[in-house]
Amino acid sequence: MQVFLQTFIGGVSLGAIYALVAMGFSLVFRTMGLVNFSHGNVVMIGAYIASTFYLSVKLPFAVAMVIALGLTGLIGVFIERVLRPLENKDFDLMLIGTIGFGIVLEAVAIIIWGATGRAVPNPVAVAPVQIFGLRIRTYDLVVLAITTAATLLLVYFLQRTKRGAAMQAVAMDHEAATAVGIHVGRSNAIAFMLGAALAALAGGLVGPLLYVNPSMGGMLGIKGFAGAILGGFGSIPGAIVGGIAIGVLDSFAGGWFQGYSDLVTFLVFTMIIMIRPTGIFGERTVNRA
Amino acid sequence: MFSSVRRRAAVLFLALATPVVLVACAAPGSDNNNKQNTEGPIKIALVDAQSGQLSSLGAWELKGVRLAMDEWNAAGGINGRQIELGIFDDQGDPTVGTNLARKIAAEGYIAMLGTAESAVTIAMAPILKESKIPNITSGQSPGLVAVKSPFLFLNGPTSTTYDETLAKYIVDTKGIKSIAMITNNGGYGKGEHDAFLKALSSRGVTPLDDQVVTTDQKDFSAALTTIRQKNPQVVFIGAEEVQSGLIVKQARDLGLTVPFAGAAPQGTPVFVDTAGVANAEGSIVSSPYLSNDINDATKKFAAAYKAKFNEDAELHGAKAYDGAQILFTALKNNKGATGEALATAIRGTKHAGLLGNFAFDDTGVGIFATTIGLIKNGKLVSA
Repeated sequence: MQVFLQTFIGGVSLGAIYALVAMGFSLVFRTMGLVNFSHGNVVMIGAYIASTFYLSVKLPFAVAMVIALGLTGLIGVFIERVLRPLENKDFDLMLIGTIGFGIVLEAVAIIIWGATGRAVPNPVAVAPVQIFGLRIRTYDLVVLAITTAATLLLVYFLQRTKRGAAMQAVAMDHEAATAVGIHVGRSNAIAFMLGAALAALAGGLVGPLLYVNPSMGGMLGIKGFAGAILGGFGSIPGAIVGGIAIGVLDSFAGGWFQGYSDLVTFLVFTMIIMIRPTGIFGERTVNRA
Repeated sequence: MFSSVRRRAAVLFLALATPVVLVACAAPGSDNNNKQNTEGPIKIALVDAQSGQLSSLGAWELKGVRLAMDEWNAAGGINGRQIELGIFDDQGDPTVGTNLARKIAAEGYIAMLGTAESAVTIAMAPILKESKIPNITSGQSPGLVAVKSPFLFLNGPTSTTYDETLAKYIVDTKGIKSIAMITNNGGYGKGEHDAFLKALSSRGVTPLDDQVVTTDQKDFSAALTTIRQKNPQVVFIGAEEVQSGLIVKQARDLGLTVPFAGAAPQGTPVFVDTAGVANAEGSIVSSPYLSNDINDATKKFAAAYKAKFNEDAELHGAKAYDGAQILFTALKNNKGATGEALATAIRGTKHAGLLGNFAFDDTGVGIFATTIGLIKNGKLVSA
């Protein structure tokens, strides 16, 4: 029982990170119908910026995170601006464009920070919380709290603000949205910016849990993407549930199937998707392509 | 020379950005070399992970090789010919490795140094054997020996040696019999798993627990909690630097306080940084190169390394330096012969290196001893 619960806790902790990554994927997809394949690499850039300001500039971790969110958000805006001429023209090219950006971001990270990577010390150096023989890292609780706050803010923005409502409108019918005076390009730029900021949040938070290096985006991107698909691509609650589900699934597969855990994780994932192709929350907001 | 290095740097950069395009460019027939050529620079390939999670190994190896090469070139090269180093990035990926093996064969490199990843080297070995290109690797998996290629040599001991020394220390010297294992299922981890298990069973010890993780795994809660419940006195790790560090860090968070034991990766600064200095304290390490202060040769090497790269030398740089010295010595003694003659020359080279005295046997292993060290305050010291 103790192993079971401890495994669950370990899964939720990384799952919260996957959920943040999945939210970024979903936000861009629901607004533009585009899968941003550079998203994993944006996570990596976010992790590097946060760790640089934390380790090299020696700012407090929270301040470093805020700076990383801002700077990475700007990178998101830049990516959208470069790809904008392709919007409504050639969607496949836009898709390939995001793959290209991913490769460029990895190369840029190698030029700036080198290929070797760095370890980020835990910013919340407090002993783990102990309940009934279970141990929960204090840092994991921080990650969960931040993920919850980010989700609530995002949902509030999308449902309660004018700009958020405009983004929903673009997602539903971008021509009709244009007709009523909504700037589609700006709406897309905001989606990319928020997506990149979420990526930076995930990257910055995962730094102390893992090891920051230029190729870390691959694994996080794939797990986050799988989480978004599992929850229902385009759905924000789906991204949260899907991301955490992938983390927990991974953790249990690791415990029960050891060396075959990746195989089992993705077999289960494939089976769920075959039974329920639209994911748990079954939302497919756009199909613009 | 300088422009050549710059060109290599540009090629390396391109290789990172567009591996697919580059591989497509390495068409057969694009080589303009002549294998009997005894004029011009001697082309040696260095293949390693220069990107990805294993890239610190590649960076160390490159530094060790470059130090040896610059010393030889400054002294007039090999029989008057300069050494030219081609640097290739295998990304720690066996598939990329096999493509690179074909590429270095096509481009007329006469020998290869690296890789530091056993799985990649094992994948490349058949192609290098077919092309008759001798390869001195930094890998240490017994799987390298099992390939049985007469062109494959190791610049250090295999896991069998590392883990025999480790088991001897833990079981025979310390009298500890309750031992748990956690290893990954990659080329290196698998080799460590089998070698340590063999060393234990030859002493009549059965591990309390034997957990296997994947090379990509990041969360070890299940494995480590299971291990903690078995209450071992020592946990053996068979995984690369970063993963070992993550395992130890998570183990301490999960309340597993006993020391960890392992081979070369656990003696590196990357391991200590990833785990955290306090968490790594007391780790038992089996290594053929415990510190830079073993003898005059290692002190000289460490000083030159520090002067050139402004960082402290460690095992992997030293191994690579030894491997490069052996290759260059063989080339010198053999008047720049290539192919089978060069492999025979390497096998016959007796070298007093930083790791000890190299004398290669038929399996391509030249050194058979490691010593035990402990991590104290983030540094590896003799036990």
